[in-house]
Formats: sequence, C-alpha cells, structure tokens
Amino acid sequence: MFAVNSETEANPTPGGATPETSRAQIETRDLHLHYGPVHVLKGISFDISRHTVTALIGPSGCGKSSYIRCLNRMNDFIGGTRVEGQILIEGADICGPGVDVIDLRRRVGMVFQKPNPFPMSVYDNVAYGPRLFGEKNRDVLDGIVRKSLEAAALWDEVRDRLPASGTGLSGGQQQRLCIARAIATAPDILLMDEPTSALDPMSTARIEELVRDLRRSFTVVIVTHNMQQAARIADRTAFFLLGELVEYDDTLKIFTSPDDKRTEDYITGRFG
Amino acid sequence: MAETGTRKQLEADMSDLKRMVLRLGMMSGDALSRAVRALEKGDASPARAVIDGDDELDDLTERIGEGCMAFTARHQPLGQDLRTVVSIIHIATDLERVGDYGVNISRTVLGLEDRPLLKPLIDIPRMAELLLEMLNRALVAFDVGDAETARKLFIMDEQIDALEKQVLRELITMVLERTERLEQAFMLLNVARTLERAGDHLTNIAERVVYMYTGKMARASDYKTPRGRQ
Ligand SMILES: Nc1ncnc2c1ncn2[C@@H]1O[C@H](COP(=O)(O)OP(=O)(O)O)[C@@H](O)[C@H]1O
Ligand SMILES: [Mg+2]
Repeated sequence: MFAVNSETEANPTPGGATPETSRAQIETRDLHLHYGPVHVLKGISFDISRHTVTALIGPSGCGKSSYIRCLNRMNDFIGGTRVEGQILIEGADICGPGVDVIDLRRRVGMVFQKPNPFPMSVYDNVAYGPRLFGEKNRDVLDGIVRKSLEAAALWDEVRDRLPASGTGLSGGQQQRLCIARAIATAPDILLMDEPTSALDPMSTARIEELVRDLRRSFTVVIVTHNMQQAARIADRTAFFLLGELVEYDDTLKIFTSPDDKRTEDYITGRFG
Repeated sequence: MAETGTRKQLEADMSDLKRMVLRLGMMSGDALSRAVRALEKGDASPARAVIDGDDELDDLTERIGEGCMAFTARHQPLGQDLRTVVSIIHIATDLERVGDYGVNISRTVLGLEDRPLLKPLIDIPRMAELLLEMLNRALVAFDVGDAETARKLFIMDEQIDALEKQVLRELITMVLERTERLEQAFMLLNVARTLERAGDHLTNIAERVVYMYTGKMARASDYKTPRGRQ
C-alpha cells in the first residue's frame, strides 16, 4: 500500500486520482489495544476500501467489537484502554489526542447488536444527530429524516407514524430506524456490530439487502458471527483470532479456499 | 480446540457420501473392464450383464446427487467441506459416464454376433488396464486426500492418448491391406475412442481431487508433455 502511494505521488495520473482517493479509506497500521493488563488487539494491519462491505468474523472474544470500536473511538468510554499503532481514515490518524472525536463519530456511524432506538418519536430519533450538529431548519430536517428513512428502507412503513414512538416498532424496524439514525448525519463509514443477531430471519434478510444497497453510499464494516451472512453480503472478509488478524481476503476466497489452516478450521466449524 | 457435535455429524455425513462415491467408482470400473474383456473374448453374456447393471449405476449416481443436496442444506458447508461436496457431484457424474462407456462397448460386443475379431486385441485391453489403474489411484487419492497421486494421473492419461493413436495406426494399415475389414476397424476405433474419453473423465476426477484438497485449480494440460516433444 505504501509502495502504491509513493508510486501514485511520483507519477500522478493526468486528471486522475489524487493521492487522497487512491489510498484506502481506512488504513490500520500495527494496531494494539489494551484494556488495562489485557492485550486485546495484537498488531492489526489491513486496508479497507471505499464503498465496500467488509465482514469481521472470528470466535467470540477475539476482538472484533474492540476493533470496530477503535474506528470511532468508542473505546474512549472504557477506562484504562491504551491504543498503539495507527488508524488512518482518509489518510489522517484518528487515534491521536488532537482528534475531534465528535466529528469523527459523525463521519463514522455505528449500529449495535440490539436495536436501541431512543425513547422518542421515529422522527426525533432520526433528527437527533443532525440537531446535535446544529441543524434547526424544519424543512431541512424533514428532508434529512425522509432521505435517511428511505435509505434505510423504512420510509414506506413509517411515513404515517413519524410522531409515534420509535420503541413501538418491530425489532427489524427498530434496527432499520437505528440505521436511519446512523446515516442521518451523512457519515462516510458505517460500523455494524452483529446488527441482525437479535432479529428473525425475515428482518435479517431485509437488513442484509439494505447493507448491500448502503454500500453504494457508504463504506460498511460489519461484525457477524454468521458466516453465511458474511458470504452473502461482504466483498472482503477479515478473520480475527485471539486478537490477531489471521487472514483478510476476498470473501469468496475466504469461504472456499482460505490460505490459513486456522481460517479453514474456523469456517468448517472445527472450533469456535 | 474441541470438535463440536455438529462437526462430528458433518464428518459422518461426509464419509457416507464418500463411501457412495467409492462404490460408484468400483461399479464403473467393473463395467468398463468387463465390457473390454467381453470384447476380447467375444463373449456376449458378460456384455449383457454390464448393460443390465447400468440402472444400478444410474440410481447410485442419483442418490449421491440427492445426498449432496441434503448435506448442503443441513450443514451449509464452507472451505474444504464446500469444495468436497461440489467436487463429489462432479466426480459422480464423471464416474457415471465411465460406466456408460462400459455399456456402449458392451453393445458393440452384442453387435458382433459371434463374428470373430480381425486379430487378437492388444492395445485396447492395455488401455482398459491402464484406465482401471488410473481409476483405482483416483479413488484412493479421493479417499485419503492425496493430491500428489491425483496429479500423477495427468501423465497416465497421456499414455492412454498414445495408445489410442497406436490403435488407429494399426487399424489403418489393416484396412489398407484389405478393405472388407473396414466395418470392424471402424467399430474397434470407436472402442478405442470411447476408452480415450474415459481417460479424460478420470483426468477430470483427478483435477477435482487436487482442488478438493488444495483449493487450487489444477489443469491436466499444465502437466502434460507439450506436443511435438513426446
Ligand atoms: N470493556 C472491556 N474491559 C475489559 N475487557 C474487555 C472489554 N470489552 C472486551 N474486553 C475483552 O476483550 C476481548 C475481546 O472482546 P471483544 O472485542 O468484545 O470480542 P468479540 O467482539 O470478537 O467477541 C475479550 O477478551 C473481552 O473479554
Ligand atoms: Mg463482539
């Protein structure tokens, strides 16, 4: 990757890519994470490209959630964490002390395992982020709410009940509401931590379809324990084990003929 | 790290599938070698037995296909398991085809109706012997996961091809000497061609076995001696 960059800078393509767009959107460089004495991530390095879906798979406790929490500095909420190494988003390190964490979280949205709509109306759930960032104009907010709900494939189901409570929706609808809320602040990157593990198969299928569509506008990084799900929706798949990134490749390759024996053993259910 | 119960079930189901493939392989090889022996000896009754046995071969192939479908629905296999179950479907088709060739040759034997052969067969039985050897090696490689042995089949298939050409040369000479031999020469040439195709199917199987166990596509043509350098 570094070699590719220096090459691009040395021979700029006429009218073509600047170094900013030719490099990967998320570059993780030898990332280490400690929770107090526990060494949770042990030298993670890989690149994630724009407008792709990347699945993180691996047994429970291998550090998938910890990793994506690094991408929007959610680990800051946990006392005693220490981060070493770098994560560059659009070329800028986000791990350092000088980072505007609020703006980072606007650019890197997150959807959690359990749908967690705020106890307020559907409308206010989606408008929450934009309002937080200072948007007061009702027309503008109306537009954002509608566009976000449409993008989350929820608009048709809730257009007549925008004032109703978000918590009154079905589980699958609540999760799509959370996705609408995450995209309302116009992020570049969407993180999803097992977003369908609390949902029934139909709702899961809708979210999966949605994720495939979202990748046209966003870069999606999704943690899933469901390998068939990863195979269905991800362009690239990263296999984590005991805090290490064992293998990262095209999804098809990972699930048909991975290079690493540990990956093979995991996907064929020999452990995990 | 402990194997899970699901993994044990998967392995049990997989070994059932493999056993069916091995059985199909033995039946196909049997059909082919019995057909060629019937031709050699001009004996119609084993030829008839081969033709009658074909239904059983077809049934088993079908059951393997169904078994693979059930296996996939049940285990949603990935990695080597996925490669194996997909390979098994292909391998079963190739084996069934080899069995069909045994039937084709048997029909030819019945068509001879006790007329003696032009000459004692030499190269055709040799082809059959070599094919049987290839088949046995392919089945062992399939069973124990020996990609190296599977790759050796690519070379053996070259010998089959060479023998077919040898048969052709000999038959041409015989026909040039006495044109009334044409009909039988044509028939024998057909048999040789059929056996050559059986070799191609066994080569396919070997390619599948390599893919199953290594995840890499092996092309027999990459291993064969380039033309003009034989
Ligand atoms: N807040 C925390 N404090 C201390 N240890 C934690 C915390 N969160 C996670 N861990 C530990 O970090 C490791 C990785 O956990 P996690 O990232 O949640 O894994 P995964 O998402 O792959 O299941 C585990 O050993 C877990 O116990
Ligand atoms: Mg987790």
